[in-house]
Amino acid sequence: MTTLTSSRGRRRAPTRIERAAGRAAALQRPRVILALLLLLALTCAMLLDGYLRAEVGGDQRVRSGADSSEVPDTILDGGPILTFRGGQATTVSVPAKTIALTFDDGPNPTWTPQVLEILRKYDVPGTFFLVGSMVTRYPGIVRTMVEQGNEVGVHTFTHVDLSYQSASRVDREMEQTQLALAGAAGITTTLFRAPYSSETDAIDNYSWPVYERLGKDGYTSVFVDTDSDDWKRPGVSDIVKWATPKGTQGASVLFHDAGGERSQTIAALPEYIEKMKAKGYTFTTISGVMAHRRTAGAGTTAGPSLQAAHHRATGPTLYEGKALIAAVAVAEWTVPTLSVGLAIVGAAVLARFGMMLLLARRHHRQRNRRRFGWGPAVTGPVSVIVPAYNEKECIANTLRSLARSTHPIEIIVVDDGSTDGTSRIARDAAGSLGMTNVRVIRQENAGKPAALNNGVRNASYGIVVMMDGDTVFEPDTVRELVQPFADPSVGAVAGNAKVGNRTTVIGAWQHIEYVMGFNLDRRMYDLLRCMPTIPGAIGAFRRDAVLAAGGMSEDTLAEDTDITIAMHRAGWRVVYQEHARAWTEAPGSLRQLWSQRYRWSYGTMQALWKHRGCLTDRGPSGRFGRVGMPLVVIFQVVTPLFAPLIDVFTVYSMIFVDFRAALLAWLAVLGVQLLCAAYAFRLDREKYRYLLMMPLQQLAYRQIMYLVLIHSCVTALTGGRLRWQKLKRTGEVGTPAGAG
Amino acid sequence: MGPVFVDTTGRRSKALRRLGLFLGAVCLAYAGVLAAAFMGWGTSLNPSSLLPFGASAEGGRAPGGMRPEGGIGRRAELPDTVRPTASPPASTTRSASASAGAN
Repeated sequence: MTTLTSSRGRRRAPTRIERAAGRAAALQRPRVILALLLLLALTCAMLLDGYLRAEVGGDQRVRSGADSSEVPDTILDGGPILTFRGGQATTVSVPAKTIALTFDDGPNPTWTPQVLEILRKYDVPGTFFLVGSMVTRYPGIVRTMVEQGNEVGVHTFTHVDLSYQSASRVDREMEQTQLALAGAAGITTTLFRAPYSSETDAIDNYSWPVYERLGKDGYTSVFVDTDSDDWKRPGVSDIVKWATPKGTQGASVLFHDAGGERSQTIAALPEYIEKMKAKGYTFTTISGVMAHRRTAGAGTTAGPSLQAAHHRATGPTLYEGKALIAAVAVAEWTVPTLSVGLAIVGAAVLARFGMMLLLARRHHRQRNRRRFGWGPAVTGPVSVIVPAYNEKECIANTLRSLARSTHPIEIIVVDDGSTDGTSRIARDAAGSLGMTNVRVIRQENAGKPAALNNGVRNASYGIVVMMDGDTVFEPDTVRELVQPFADPSVGAVAGNAKVGNRTTVIGAWQHIEYVMGFNLDRRMYDLLRCMPTIPGAIGAFRRDAVLAAGGMSEDTLAEDTDITIAMHRAGWRVVYQEHARAWTEAPGSLRQLWSQRYRWSYGTMQALWKHRGCLTDRGPSGRFGRVGMPLVVIFQVVTPLFAPLIDVFTVYSMIFVDFRAALLAWLAVLGVQLLCAAYAFRLDREKYRYLLMMPLQQLAYRQIMYLVLIHSCVTALTGGRLRWQKLKRTGEVGTPAGAG
Repeated sequence: MGPVFVDTTGRRSKALRRLGLFLGAVCLAYAGVLAAAFMGWGTSLNPSSLLPFGASAEGGRAPGGMRPEGGIGRRAELPDTVRPTASPPASTTRSASASAGAN
């Protein structure tokens, strides 16, 4: 927001612009930073959520059938507990008649509590090898698990085959899990079991270095003697059979308390415990096995030695762990909430498109039926009010177009304190065109609403047409525009504004937007009788109705929306007349477009807020409050506020989830919009080639539009003052030859 | 009725600025926590703190307990045994053969 092109801004008061620019800069920089921080946090939450669900950084590869030539035979044939005390690999086996129950892949909110309950009931300890990501998601289960006297070990953070991962990834997997444990239960552990590992004789040349390295770090790797294979869901009897060691051998037994449907595990576990107890077996944890090793069965394996692998987490580890758990809780809550919100918004937008297509079609058919008429033709003269502030480039064109009007009119040019001789140019133009029906009224610069009010007061006829000083009418425009007044219930009519300068990219984008806005939105609003805005470029009003509403108000920056809502509330019908076309000059630069839209969206919100009372009113005002207000609020304020999230989610899914699916979804939405746009173009008999700009519009224009809206929302909240910023005109728009 | 939304006292914008500052700080802290947790910054999980079976267990260890035991002729390496890993173990039957078969 540095230099507005004020060197050429001859029609603007420089001091005001400078002040506005300064204010804008002061307001915007913190906003941009805050927006970026919010985006950062959202991205973090989404990445975290994706990481926890293995969408981000997930690795499905599992190695099998690799050679084990480099693994020492003692290990391959050794017991299931592998340590590296003093740098040397040693294995420990489970003593006879002893079972170390081990559970992998937990915690799981459904099955783990059931397993814990069974263990508690039989007073049997277990060793749980936990997946860190699940720990962060269900910390309460882990806390209970540890408090109940069970031992826990690390089963990596994301359940990846570590033999495929780099050393730093392995370290991260371990540390993240430790952090999760610290946060969940206030402990760290020295036990580890590698995902996809089983018996020691399955160690291969790729996984061996991982165990070696982790062992040197102090980890004890735990393997299995008997594998229940419960994940295959073979039935309770097979699970029990496969989990049972031969004779009186001791065993580290593998069950799974997560990773799938585990009802068979839950059913088999009590049976297994009872069976083994009946055979005289005792149950212990991995630490219990180690302690037994050391004490040589001195019988002191009770108490804390069952959890000897646990260490109390202290200091930064504990706090960081707790922070991680909290961060995960936030992400776990945020991402699904946003997803649901986006689904609702998406459904609403699609429903709106459907409704627009339906109602636009009905509107088009109804109004173009051969026998359709508003009543007896309106032929009496009307007043055309042209507010003009520094319109020297355009005013002559405007008057020339009005001179060809096929409807009797008087023209009131209200010069709002122009400094560029607009009045003189207007008078000269009227004189040279031989127009006798032009009156030029000068007033002190007081803003567009005041100029319009001045014009309305000076109007001689009961119907006033309002247009902008930079707008060009077709010869038939006024006649078409005033026909609906044959119906006495019609209080105001919106015309069809067309973008004249559509050769540039920005112009083409706005052209698409205008065609859609007029041919879909306004037709829909017309039939629903809740049109929120009569465009300032072309609209007609009953003079009495405007005066009864107190004229144009300066309360808001969108006096057109304000007066339209006021008309509705007064019980007047507001209709859209598609055949009354006005050619207007759209902003030619992004900056101009930005300030125009900023004013529009801010003004619309002001007008909605100003008329919030209609929500509780009765009668026509209440009707607008119940139908029009929600529609406008949802589709012009709430939906655009969600739009950046849609973009963030789309980009996220393209990068991290499924590029093809995300792209297809995006293309599908684009397709729906293209379809709607094409229909709107068809209704208006516009050339389809502008639709080629539409994909690009989705990538730039849309973002500008929602940024403007967010920006004006924040301005509304902060209570900052927003002033009129006049658009720079080039006066290039004229009635296209042969049009109308 | 004055212009809609305009706050002449400046109180609202001040409150909002504070809220924005707070929100920004929260967002930054959130990103910071996740980055630190992901990269393992600031945690004291260095290997030495993870010696298997801490000092308490070691202290309670009786010297007499350091003989291989348990089951079915299985050789069990002691945690701090002097025997190198490479030394061939007494050949044993694998206790897990049953489940190995099931696999």
